[in-house]
Amino acid sequence: MRMTERTRSRGWLIGGTFAAVIPVLAARLDSPWSVSRTQSRTVWDSVYTISQAAVGEAAYGKTCARCHGASLSGADESPALTGSGFLGNWNGLPLSDLQTRIRTTMPTDSVGIYDRRLVTDVIAYLLKANGFPAGNADLPNDVEQLKEILIQARTP
Amino acid sequence: MIVAFAASAAVAAQRTPVNAPTSSSAAADNAPPFTTSRGEWPSYTGDTRGSRYSPLDQITARNFGTLEVAWRFKTDSLGPRPEFKLEGTPLMVAGVLYATGGTNRAVVALDAVTGVQLWVHREDEGDRGAAAPRPLSGRGLAYWTDGREERVLYVTPGYRLIALDAKTGTPIPTFGTGGVVDLKTDIDQTILPDLVTGEIGFQGAPVVGRDVIVIGASFREGITPKSYKNNKGYVRGFDVRTGKRLWTFHTIPKQGEPGYETWLNGSAEYTGNTGVWTQLTVDEELGLVYLPVESPTGDYYGGHRPGNNLYGESLVCLDLKTGAKKWHYQIVHHPIWDFDLASAPILADITVDGKAIKAIAAPTKQGILYVFDRVTGKPVWPFEEKPVERGDVPGEWYSPTQPVPTKPPAYAKNGTSIDDLVDFTPELRAQAVTIASRYKLGPVFTPPVVSKADGPLGTLARGATNGGSNWPGGSYDPETHTVYVASSNAAPAVLGLVQPSKDRSDMDWIGGTAPQPNGARAGGLSVQGLSIFKPPYGTISAINLDKGEISWQVPHGETPDAVRNHEMLKGITIPRTGQPGFLVGTLVTKTLVIAGDPQVTTLSTRPRGAMLRAYDKASGAEVGSVFLPAPVSGSPMTYAVHGRQYIVLAVSGGPYSGEYIAFRLPLDGSR
Repeated sequence: MRMTERTRSRGWLIGGTFAAVIPVLAARLDSPWSVSRTQSRTVWDSVYTISQAAVGEAAYGKTCARCHGASLSGADESPALTGSGFLGNWNGLPLSDLQTRIRTTMPTDSVGIYDRRLVTDVIAYLLKANGFPAGNADLPNDVEQLKEILIQARTP
Repeated sequence: MIVAFAASAAVAAQRTPVNAPTSSSAAADNAPPFTTSRGEWPSYTGDTRGSRYSPLDQITARNFGTLEVAWRFKTDSLGPRPEFKLEGTPLMVAGVLYATGGTNRAVVALDAVTGVQLWVHREDEGDRGAAAPRPLSGRGLAYWTDGREERVLYVTPGYRLIALDAKTGTPIPTFGTGGVVDLKTDIDQTILPDLVTGEIGFQGAPVVGRDVIVIGASFREGITPKSYKNNKGYVRGFDVRTGKRLWTFHTIPKQGEPGYETWLNGSAEYTGNTGVWTQLTVDEELGLVYLPVESPTGDYYGGHRPGNNLYGESLVCLDLKTGAKKWHYQIVHHPIWDFDLASAPILADITVDGKAIKAIAAPTKQGILYVFDRVTGKPVWPFEEKPVERGDVPGEWYSPTQPVPTKPPAYAKNGTSIDDLVDFTPELRAQAVTIASRYKLGPVFTPPVVSKADGPLGTLARGATNGGSNWPGGSYDPETHTVYVASSNAAPAVLGLVQPSKDRSDMDWIGGTAPQPNGARAGGLSVQGLSIFKPPYGTISAINLDKGEISWQVPHGETPDAVRNHEMLKGITIPRTGQPGFLVGTLVTKTLVIAGDPQVTTLSTRPRGAMLRAYDKASGAEVGSVFLPAPVSGSPMTYAVHGRQYIVLAVSGGPYSGEYIAFRLPLDGSR
């Protein structure tokens, strides 16, 4: 259902150049459109721990805060990482997409210095800062497992 | 197919301007052969005046909703990885669109009708590019022609100025060294520690006027600087033909220059930053360039630089040919709020009380439009030096007053009080008050505080850092003498200071909040997933500069999902709130003000995405919208080729990588 809707919207926008764009999409394995249809959990299901968020927070403070702000409110060119802008962008997408996005593009001046583990810890901190509940198990850093956890802006 | 074929022929035919000015007056001689009045878009803001105005009138209130995508250009492959923050505004000259894109800031020329790539230029800067303080694709480029030669100019992430042949994309061999000027050299200072890693860059579009290229400078974000010492953001002019440096303006005066005395204890010697990272504005007729200068080193703490700190957060006017200073006005004394002058100043020829004034208007993060006579530097409406609160951060130096214009009124919320907190329901208000109680509230220019775990965690500010207007800037309608500008009201900034460890910074204080006793940081500022502030979260304002009054102000952007779908708000009617994006640029045409949503929303009537909206420029009424697959991330532009008007803008953000999208009307339909 979701895929159908997306395809339709892109088809409408692309119009006559539809055929030319398909290979680009197909080539992007981490495409934002690669939403799994089997998610069973959302970020409301207590998917991280407080201690994990604390590790992520320390990393955030060291590297991310200089652009995104100590209060995650963004500045000049860096988007806020809390609130409706952040959640609007990611609403309905799996945490794996967010992990890939951060891991492959951040920090902009030293991309890749954070491994999957630390990026996942930072995501735990972002979840906490956005008001999602903590639980008893750490957020896994495995992409396949993160594909099964959806970001959902409002309580299910 | 037919359209594309016709366009290719048009490109070839139009390379020579067909309507070159014939007047022999000095102004006409200096006038560019391509202008928005002929349907081109030859400069980042359309002209060099910060206008973002085009008189095109094919796309109207009646047909805006029928716009179709003419073409799309994905920038993923221009760099080694996709970019998710595409900020560029393209240029359009003679049927060719020029734009920057990609993580290494490539330049592309596209057929303006079809979007087909004509050429691409890419620099591999290795470690120097990787160390850039402002990487990624930047905001765009400049175009220049003398009627024979045509060039496009841009600055790489590694701070090199490149001149390309507009027809082929190849570097101009007679410009600089092989088409390149190394901007880290010949800058009246030694860039430290070395040319590869030395912190200085520029992500804006160069501006060209009267054959002079003017280049600013930018640095890393300044909330948590590593040191109170840094490289200085001098502004320079270069000969567009040769690349020769013509002048350097010391944005931090050197000893013996006026303004040096505003840096006490010799702090001008070591303080850095104070560059111009946003767009510069040029008055080609008057031969003047206007510099919107940013903060000195340390966005929230200025104890290492006591004094007013000229030309930090000042508007400075220079002679375009010589770089000699004509006038300056410091908009914020001793900057400690990150109130960089972040938007291109806007030139406006207005009539106030029957008197014609060549004016300049500066939109700001604090949501105040500062309006000056651009010849004399005198405020059009008087500014009052208003007493402001003196803080108590150890070591800080405070200005006792700040200038505040008597007109026009502030167009964005720029302070905080209990009355500003969300009040959809009494319960939400009570929760907001509880959260706010841990912060210091106050009007604009309430100073930062030392962050304490038991409160205050910081000054809860709006405007500072991420409110009001930022680099996308405003627009100016020369017919109605009206500035149109988007602003954000609801992005909270916490102005808290903490003492950094010595290995992190040699500053006495940097931005941050104190850890809680259990080691965790304080919770977020949202209230049940809602902004802590009342709507409207973001607006577009029309400000009439003949009167100094706000003509209209409307919320801009769909009400966020978090509000529309909130459990606690069921049954409550909430008018459109707008969105708290500080990165919305406006475009003004013959009849419309056009701007995109800065956030994605999900409505049952359309796919998840954002909208590009058109407002009646006379009334502010929304008259049409079209779907965007991602938030707007660069200011829109417009042009006409072969009798058809196009609107092009950059979208990206979250999971959506950068893309330029071009809209036009269907061939037959509602035109």
